[in-house]
Amino acid sequence: MKKISIDPITRLEGHGKIDIFLDDEGNVANAYLVVPELRGFEKFAEGRPVEEMPRITPRICGVCPEAHHMASVKACDAVYHVEVPPTGKKLRELLYSAFYVADHTVHFYILAAPDFVLGPDAPPAERNILGLIHKVGLEVGGRVIRCRGLGMDIVGMLGGKTIHPVGALPGGVSKAIDEEERAQIEEWGHELVDFGQFSLQLFHDVVLQNKTYLDMILSDAYTTPMYYMGLVDENNKVNFYDGKVRVVDPEGQEFVKYTPEEYLDVIAERVEPWTYLKFPYLKKVGWKGLVTGMDSGVYQATPLSRLNAADGMTTPLAQQAYDHFYETLGGKPVHGTLATHWARLIELLYAAERIVELATDPEITNPHVRNIPTEIPDEGVGIVEAPRGTLTHHYVTDEKGIVKKCNLIVGTTNNYAPISISIRKAAQAFIKMGQISEGLLNRVEMAFRSYDPCLGCATHALPGQMPLEVLVRDADGNVLERLTQFIE
Amino acid sequence: MKTLVLGLGNPILTDDGVGIHVVRALAGRLNRPDLEVVEASLGGLRLLDTTVGYDRLILVDAIQAGGQIGQVYRLAPRDLLSSLHSASSHDLSLPAALELGRRLGLAVPEDEAITILAVEVGDVLTFGEVCTPPVQAAIPRVVQMVLDQVRIP
Repeated sequence: MKKISIDPITRLEGHGKIDIFLDDEGNVANAYLVVPELRGFEKFAEGRPVEEMPRITPRICGVCPEAHHMASVKACDAVYHVEVPPTGKKLRELLYSAFYVADHTVHFYILAAPDFVLGPDAPPAERNILGLIHKVGLEVGGRVIRCRGLGMDIVGMLGGKTIHPVGALPGGVSKAIDEEERAQIEEWGHELVDFGQFSLQLFHDVVLQNKTYLDMILSDAYTTPMYYMGLVDENNKVNFYDGKVRVVDPEGQEFVKYTPEEYLDVIAERVEPWTYLKFPYLKKVGWKGLVTGMDSGVYQATPLSRLNAADGMTTPLAQQAYDHFYETLGGKPVHGTLATHWARLIELLYAAERIVELATDPEITNPHVRNIPTEIPDEGVGIVEAPRGTLTHHYVTDEKGIVKKCNLIVGTTNNYAPISISIRKAAQAFIKMGQISEGLLNRVEMAFRSYDPCLGCATHALPGQMPLEVLVRDADGNVLERLTQFIE
Repeated sequence: MKTLVLGLGNPILTDDGVGIHVVRALAGRLNRPDLEVVEASLGGLRLLDTTVGYDRLILVDAIQAGGQIGQVYRLAPRDLLSSLHSASSHDLSLPAALELGRRLGLAVPEDEAITILAVEVGDVLTFGEVCTPPVQAAIPRVVQMVLDQVRIP
């Protein structure tokens, strides 16, 4: 058979591409993550019945279809001015919590854990889930697969099918659950809480007990104080499914709390001439360039920012983990980008506890799970926390519910500026006076990976095997050096 | 022997959906109890889930390998450096997902029983539900390749 060497650039040209611009002295002036542009979504959506959007938008990004499904259906609720009955909301949140457990599990064990368990200097061929299993045992791998599977089974039970969720509709969900299903979900929920605690313990034993890793988390190169965003409930506690969006400043004080309809009053998008990408920022603080701090409107939306923006968790074990997190890292807010991996595990535990809470809620098997919309549709905004950041869907329709306009701000879009800034900081440590040191690629990859960027169905590789192309350019933009890993 | 014919791709990103269009064109033609046809837009572990329990896998997907648009390749897992279908920078490649599944004792097809039919595509960045003409033209060829492989006259 003819051996075809397939460029690890996926069919979406989706390897990580980074441009680093040097100044006249040869030091890093700026760095930018270059992302392929998906074109024409607004046009594609125009003319469609708005209730199709919860089935269409999950396909934009194959990573977290459940997040798009939820944000979309909430936007539809708003378009139709329909209130979802309590059981409908709880079933949606139950599905969403199960999805979070599965997604965060995959992310931590496939992406983060190998780096910490095997070490960032281990050979790339070992620094992956297969190497992880080799080191900590098959049993851990088996547990990861099983717990992720249970999360997805719950999603399947509630969402219609595990591959692409279809269960939520404007006004509620399509079906109720019976006692048998409820009991099964509760049982699995307990196992997932156990797994959440196991994961935090693993993190404690392997990462926090290791001074090198702890120093890395606290190191200056990965610390960038900025504004932090996350969805909170009426008590300012973390909630992935519903609430208001809260933003705290770099010192942890509440800066703004807004409802979905108000998002355009708070967030603006900066257009830069050298990229089609727009950078969202806080309007009232203003755009000061790719810098962070009290005076810059740059903010992040990540598991770390969610914990920073909230006052705590609503479930007991996660709250304990939350307190321990801030005690260990020196108080709120935490600015170390690598701490995001720890924050993700706290969220995993919370989501698992939430599954048990919702599965034991007296209303959860109530058959009234949907209110049929009766109002004339016009416009609506739906916001949820996607694992990768605050996700906003905004639709405008005519009086028949046909889409006229739509705007989406996806999780990673919130983080374009922070990612570029983190990359620049990492690069600055490795490029001085035009000299590029060993380890640039790895450092840069670590910087942007902790944001867990979803590049629109782009890159797809194991840690250490991420196809990455870094172009180092002089002050005029000419390419001085091209560094690559896993690209021909 | 149970065979899964799996069409992968994103059906709303123009050429990216070719795998899905192929399996839709096969609908109704693979009526045998040992054959299952599934369409999916996923990668990594979600893909692994779908393949458990089958002895043979025929996967249809889009690829950009620098060839002529509309060209069809027949590949095996070892021909791929990283992956066919991507979902994110934080999931597994297909070969890694399968290997993980095997090590954990899941009933996943062996590499020798996996065929990948990949179509060289052009536009995967514009939203659209129809493939560009050269890719559209490849669909019936790939359909025939699947039918030949499972020996349907």
